[in-house]
Amino acid sequence: MDERENGFIQKHDLLGCIQCGRCTGGCPVTARSGLNVRGILRGALDEDLLQSLAGLPEIWDCTACGNCSLRCPKGLKPLDVLVALRSILVEGGVIQPSVRDALESIFREGNPWDKPRAARFDWRRDLDLKVVGPGEAVHCLVFVCCTVAYDPRLQGIAGNLGRLLNYAGVHYGFMEEGETCCASEAYCLGEEGLFEMMVEDNSELLNSYSASRIITISPHCYSAFKNQYPQLRAEILHYTELLAELLREGKMELNRELKERIVYHDPCFLGKQNGVFNDPRFILQQLPGAELVEFERTRERSLCCEGGGGKMWVESESRGERLAAVRVREAKMLGAGVLAAACPFCLLTLEDAVKAEGWEDEIKVAEILEIAGGLIQE
Amino acid sequence: MDIFVCIKRVPDTSEAEVSVDESGKEVDSSRFSFDINEADNYAVEEALLLKERLGGTVQVVCVDCGDVETIIRMALAKGADGAIQVNDGRVNVKDPLVIARVLAAVIGQHQFDLVLTGCMAGDDGYMTVGAALAEELTLPCATMVKNVEPQGGRLSVCRELEGGLLEEVDIALPAVLTIQTGINEPRYASIRGVRQAQKKEIKVLKIEDLEIAEEEAAGGRSSVEMQELYVPEVASRAELIEGEPAQKAEVLAGKLVKGGLL
Ligand code: SF4
Ligand code: SF4
Repeated sequence: MDERENGFIQKHDLLGCIQCGRCTGGCPVTARSGLNVRGILRGALDEDLLQSLAGLPEIWDCTACGNCSLRCPKGLKPLDVLVALRSILVEGGVIQPSVRDALESIFREGNPWDKPRAARFDWRRDLDLKVVGPGEAVHCLVFVCCTVAYDPRLQGIAGNLGRLLNYAGVHYGFMEEGETCCASEAYCLGEEGLFEMMVEDNSELLNSYSASRIITISPHCYSAFKNQYPQLRAEILHYTELLAELLREGKMELNRELKERIVYHDPCFLGKQNGVFNDPRFILQQLPGAELVEFERTRERSLCCEGGGGKMWVESESRGERLAAVRVREAKMLGAGVLAAACPFCLLTLEDAVKAEGWEDEIKVAEILEIAGGLIQE
Repeated sequence: MDIFVCIKRVPDTSEAEVSVDESGKEVDSSRFSFDINEADNYAVEEALLLKERLGGTVQVVCVDCGDVETIIRMALAKGADGAIQVNDGRVNVKDPLVIARVLAAVIGQHQFDLVLTGCMAGDDGYMTVGAALAEELTLPCATMVKNVEPQGGRLSVCRELEGGLLEEVDIALPAVLTIQTGINEPRYASIRGVRQAQKKEIKVLKIEDLEIAEEEAAGGRSSVEMQELYVPEVASRAELIEGEPAQKAEVLAGKLVKGGLL
């Protein structure tokens, strides 16, 4: 057995588990997968079983939503146990090719999408945005997620954030150079060594910029910077927190009408895991003419869309209905014309689900930045 | 079984626009990312699988004076035992025959049972080095290998031929095989593994360390010279034949006969 597996029980406090089942009871993927996190915590008490537990295909169904860890009355982190099991496979080198390719791409190109590093800033060519270099004092340094930087469907989101910040007169800048993956997904996929390396490199890079605040677009970068990058000096904000602040302080106004019923989907890495529930809603409430409605399962109880936890690169064995499909059906039942997201992964998974149902004409999935960006009079 | 695997670093051109640089003889690679050649990656995996089954050693060889440490370390992290890099700017790496001669000079210094290369390089697509290397080493060779089965002191290998044909070949060792992609599923080299692989040695050689004349390595005997590189012109010269099917067939047949194709 790998020596790193020694101390697994202590590291994850497995003897503290009382097998109450709060974790499994809150795990969204139990509805469609054989994943039973309580059973896995029990099984892991026998360290000789770790290798075979790691071989269970369903450990790749976990979306890293964090619900199990939030609900555990004993303060255990069942999610971390699953990540540790994934890492046994990663260290052994035998993982799904799509996962392998994403990890190799993060290592080589600084993004999980196998895109050249040199093309990272192509999205902002010809846009009137501010860019700052290391050492230049800036109030808000904007960090653009890899998925937003490279996916043509999402690139406009970053541009819209720039337009809104221009409009509100914020002292901001996009990174001139060096921007690279936050590696949150590498962590969730069990590649701890790569994650540690990226944390070290990124912390040094981000600290070399003289920024008071770092504004993230993706909740995944946000959560990683906030909770797993202890050396970062700047304050970490999700863009929804910044936009809500600008609206509250009257520095920005959304002054075009949007006659729509909007339902907001809480991203797990923003809501559940970091408690940002009100700011995205506050922004949507400022939209003239719009009506904000709520899902039945909302805020802490929000249903995960299955976009996180490295699931963008994992082939699931499960044949059950995707949670994103459940989500868009609920949105449709609420009569919402717009399903608002505040995360690139949520946007992609929910939009796929809408397309799979053929409901593109009835319900539009939109990032808050897409909605707000269209509602300013410059 | 002691195995040598030859690897090459190539640009990934799948995502980037390809354009010719000012010299008119090279691709502008300033925006490319680089990685191990895809088929070579499968060759590394096949060597490791054979080592896991039969014991022995795997050595990686690379003729390149660029930044190849990462791809070599990844192969070492996956389980290769050692690596040799011919890091000498004088080697004419544009000429596949020169590469084959230099590789033969490196590998010929050692005892070995098998040499694996990828079947094709993702950049120039010559498919030459493996077969030329076998010639230089005067060894039997099987190209485009899709399966390898050790049988006593020999190998039974399956080759993928044109038109979807498969050919079974029984081959004596030592031999050179060029590996087709898809023969296996290459494993992942974790970053911890790559860091641990720092301890393994990468031997760096110059032309003087090899039994090969400088003139030969530099391509004095070279038979390949790049004269011009250009992006094929995109033009639409298609002629649409109109009419009823029978009429169309007649017009088409007339054109084929006239063009000497029928
Ligand atoms: S919620 Fe906590 S204590 Fe209860 S079964 Fe899960 S891990 Fe154990
Ligand atoms: S993180 Fe979410 S999906 Fe993963 S085991 Fe916990 S509750 Fe289930």
